[in-house]
Amino acid sequence: MIAAFKRLKASRGVGKFCRNRLAVAALGIIVLYALVGGWVALGDLLPGRAGITYAQVEQPVWPTPINGFGIPATNERRVEAARIITREVKRAVNNGEGFTDIRYGLLHILPGTADSDTELDRLSTLIEESEDLYDQLSEFDDLNSPEPPMLDDGAPDPDSIDVPSTIARLEGAVRQMFAPLSGWQSLKQSLLHSLGTDRQGRSNFLRVIFSIKVALQVGIVVAIISVLVGTFLGAAAAYFGGWVDHAVVWLYSTLSSMPELILLAVLVYAFSGSVFDKVSNPWLALVPVYAAMCMEFWIGPCRVIRGETLKLKELEYVQAATAIGFGRFYILLKHVIPNTVHLMFINFSLLFIAAIKFEVVLSFLGLGVKVGPSWGRMIQESTQEVINGIFWQIGAATVFMFVLVLAFNIVSDALQDAFDPKHVG
Amino acid sequence: MWSYVARRLLYSIPVYLGIILIMMGALRLRDPVSAYLGKNATAETALLKKASMGLDRPFLPIGIEDPAEPFGIEPIVEVGRVGFYPPLRTQYVEFLWRILRFDFGTAERPYRSWQFESDNVGAKLADAVWPTLKITIPALVLTATIAILVGLLSAAYRGSVLDKTLMVLVVLGMSISVVVFIVLGQVFGSSWLNGKLGFELFASNGYEPGIQNWVKYCALPVIIGVVVGMGYDARFYRAVMVEETSRDYITTAVAKGAPRHKIIFVHMLKNAMIPVITRIMITIPFLITGSIVMEYQFRIPGMGKLLIDAIVNKDFPIIQTFTAVLAGLFILTNILTDVLYALVDPRVRLA
Amino acid sequence: MTTPSPILSVRHLTTRFRTDRGIVTAIDDVSFDLYPGETLGIVGESGCGKTVTSKSIMRLLPERTTIIDPSSQIMFEGTNLATADDRTMRRIRGDRIAMIFQEPMTSLNPVFTIGWQLDEALKYHTDLGRAARRSRAIEMLKLVEIPNAERRVDEYPHQLSGGMRQRVMIGMALCCEPDVFIADEPTTALDVTIQAQILALMENLRKRLNTAIILITHNLGVVAQVCDRVAVMYAGRVIEVGGVRRIFHDPQHPYTRALLDSIPKAGRKEHGKRLPTIEGIVPSLFDLPKGCRFADRCARCQPLCRDTEPELLPAEGVGESHLKRCHFPLSQAAPVTSASHAAMTSSPGARP
Repeated sequence: MIAAFKRLKASRGVGKFCRNRLAVAALGIIVLYALVGGWVALGDLLPGRAGITYAQVEQPVWPTPINGFGIPATNERRVEAARIITREVKRAVNNGEGFTDIRYGLLHILPGTADSDTELDRLSTLIEESEDLYDQLSEFDDLNSPEPPMLDDGAPDPDSIDVPSTIARLEGAVRQMFAPLSGWQSLKQSLLHSLGTDRQGRSNFLRVIFSIKVALQVGIVVAIISVLVGTFLGAAAAYFGGWVDHAVVWLYSTLSSMPELILLAVLVYAFSGSVFDKVSNPWLALVPVYAAMCMEFWIGPCRVIRGETLKLKELEYVQAATAIGFGRFYILLKHVIPNTVHLMFINFSLLFIAAIKFEVVLSFLGLGVKVGPSWGRMIQESTQEVINGIFWQIGAATVFMFVLVLAFNIVSDALQDAFDPKHVG
Repeated sequence: MWSYVARRLLYSIPVYLGIILIMMGALRLRDPVSAYLGKNATAETALLKKASMGLDRPFLPIGIEDPAEPFGIEPIVEVGRVGFYPPLRTQYVEFLWRILRFDFGTAERPYRSWQFESDNVGAKLADAVWPTLKITIPALVLTATIAILVGLLSAAYRGSVLDKTLMVLVVLGMSISVVVFIVLGQVFGSSWLNGKLGFELFASNGYEPGIQNWVKYCALPVIIGVVVGMGYDARFYRAVMVEETSRDYITTAVAKGAPRHKIIFVHMLKNAMIPVITRIMITIPFLITGSIVMEYQFRIPGMGKLLIDAIVNKDFPIIQTFTAVLAGLFILTNILTDVLYALVDPRVRLA
Repeated sequence: MTTPSPILSVRHLTTRFRTDRGIVTAIDDVSFDLYPGETLGIVGESGCGKTVTSKSIMRLLPERTTIIDPSSQIMFEGTNLATADDRTMRRIRGDRIAMIFQEPMTSLNPVFTIGWQLDEALKYHTDLGRAARRSRAIEMLKLVEIPNAERRVDEYPHQLSGGMRQRVMIGMALCCEPDVFIADEPTTALDVTIQAQILALMENLRKRLNTAIILITHNLGVVAQVCDRVAVMYAGRVIEVGGVRRIFHDPQHPYTRALLDSIPKAGRKEHGKRLPTIEGIVPSLFDLPKGCRFADRCARCQPLCRDTEPELLPAEGVGESHLKRCHFPLSQAAPVTSASHAAMTSSPGARP
């Protein structure tokens, strides 16, 4: 196989692919995604030190939903967030509990010194101030478009508070309750807030990055298994002919007689036993999805490789190899399959895209990823938000998925252009 | 030609039997009854439910009985531990028999859904077909027409700015998930648009029967469906047309002095019809299934929603019947496609 | 004796293609004349540019990737076809200049009957009514010697054999009685017996309709049989043009000589002799040599040959009717050759 890869590298097709600058750029983007996904996956191996864990993703980064790109939320929300934080800190101070579970992203109350009296005093002062400001603000019915209270003669009351600055002071007070962040940390914090949050306050940015790992996971597992199984079955069917061929063709004709999504849905149903439902490990929980997709996707490569092998079978060097007396399996593995490697690559990228897209649809319907975020689930959860005009979650998921799928589309188009002489461009 | 059709039907029988076998087997990998009843069911309720559904019977006429879960019927004859059971009372054969008679529940011999205890599966399927068709048929017609035109234009002016723009749009469209189109389409097509117009043109979900309600409930799903499906089709038709342009007989036609529009719409189109028809025919069984996601999101009580609800609620009879009917439709449509081929392409002789 | 003026006059025809490896010049400075009623052969190896030349005349090359040099002139009835617009070309194609191709199996549209396809040509270029067109179609089929023409006219291409399809193509091309008929390797895909029939048919029709024929082939035997004049092409250039008899008996260009020598001959004298070949291969169009394109393979090659490309000039003592593109044509004395050059050729006939 190594010889096959060497041959592939030197072939004209690879040259043609590399000349296509758009395709190379797209490939670069895919590599970037792969690196990010890989880094995220480290979270399972080295929790806390690298990567992102499932627990981290699920934790809210703010008590109330916020907008992305630093756009401030509505006044009401801001005040509400301040109130919640104040209440939590107050409760912890009064009960003498630790502050470790008051965390919003990287913002937290300094644990050690919070026990000291000076720190408690400081927090109490801040709590008082914030409660005071809150009371002032609660006199307004609608904080979002507050009407300044009028005097009897119709002029605005000069003694009334100015809402925006009051809210700013309130937020300032709350901010001071938290330990100050270093430059690097505050950068990370703003990154967490950069794409806004969903209704539960979880960071869209974290979730969408975590979903990269999920998508890549599904894509790679499904694509690799399907291509390998499909290639082997297809090549074997064409090469050995006879009942092997009949069996394989019957099998894929049968499976293709159902529309894909339906087959997937039914297979997911069939494979998801109670075993898999109980498992919280996100890797294992997806096994029904993997199994369903592989059972569906192996058909594509199988058909293509079978067709190609039928052609290759008649070529001289295969016949020569047979004449020399090499075993049939040997010829299959060493002569036939390596010459279908380019098709394997093309199919890999096509199936990768299909896997990601189907995962999105399945998760959207509730049949796919059930534990933890994925692009499909994010879109599904965003349907409520979208009605109210909040597009952060769906926007983030769509854009990130779009870039990856587009890159793969470009790459597989370029691969087909480069390696398949009959491909129409 | 009729002998060809008859032969094809005959050959389809083993295929269909196989499909049903695989499908029924897959559905029974995990015990349907316990899946439906959940973890809290006692063993007795489970057994009772099984018996009532006929799931306690052997799957095939030959089977080995598990003493812990005995079959509900007696074998005709037993050879050691292997028993031969009356075929018609085994699950596999009995279901096939149902399919043959197209009997999915009548008043006297009910075949009830598990979710809707009072409804027969057959009746539920029949009710769900029409709403689905009201969306899928218009969507198919529109998508095919527009995609063919786009494909023709792109191929005829291959390499031009128009072609490149169209194909870029297509690739961009293909990279956005279907569900995004549906969710955004739903929001912008109904709430937002209705707000702008001042009246409700498209409902954001729901369904009411009757042709007068079509625009309100079905038009938006159709529009979204066309936008989603057009990209793939346009690309395919373009590839077909471009292949046509490189054919020798097109060069001959040009050499004869044929004008450009005749070359495209007469010479190329008729030859391109063959793959085009194949593609359209392949999508016909999908007309019945409808877009699952669309119906789910728009709460249209069609076949797609029926299936998803059945899967989520583990309604075994519906799932089983649905897939059986669908597979049958698929096979029939394939045969129909081949016959249509013969009508369009004079080279094809039905062998 | 005044020579009649040519019906088609090609001068400095240069056609380039855009490929993903750059722009390549497929044919360069091709010039020849076609006189009314004669058969001109264009002969050369595969890839020498014969088909590109004929398709350039008919403007059948893909627009997007083809560049015909603006200095090219293809004069036909006063119009320069190289720069004519699409409408003019459409008027001329099929009606004044017609063309048939190499592959009869794929050149006819499979989903229309032969009658329909003949009818189409007549519809575009004549004013005949439907019944008149049909009878003319049947007449053409009879003219190209297709038996049972009345029945065949409603049949589909796949119901005919290769030879018959080529006859239909000829019929289609000639049904409007064009002045020029270009046949691009019409018999290459057919077996030898059919080949003879088709050639005889073409010769027959030429006499009846007084059509000038450009016959493109790589088979010198065919040229000898039916052509009046012949142009020899090599690597995108015309290297010799002249009357068939003169060129066959007295070729001027070494390549022509080598081609003639490589025709297998029958007879006792030839027993045991090796078939002469031309050593080397045609230069790649992406990597053309500076001087004469045949220099590497020529036994008479001199430093001048490698340095400057020869012009297409009249042969000595003959005049315009025999042109050659060679610094040291065969009619001259043999130049002094180095030992390595002598070793390069294996053909005994290469010696002057």
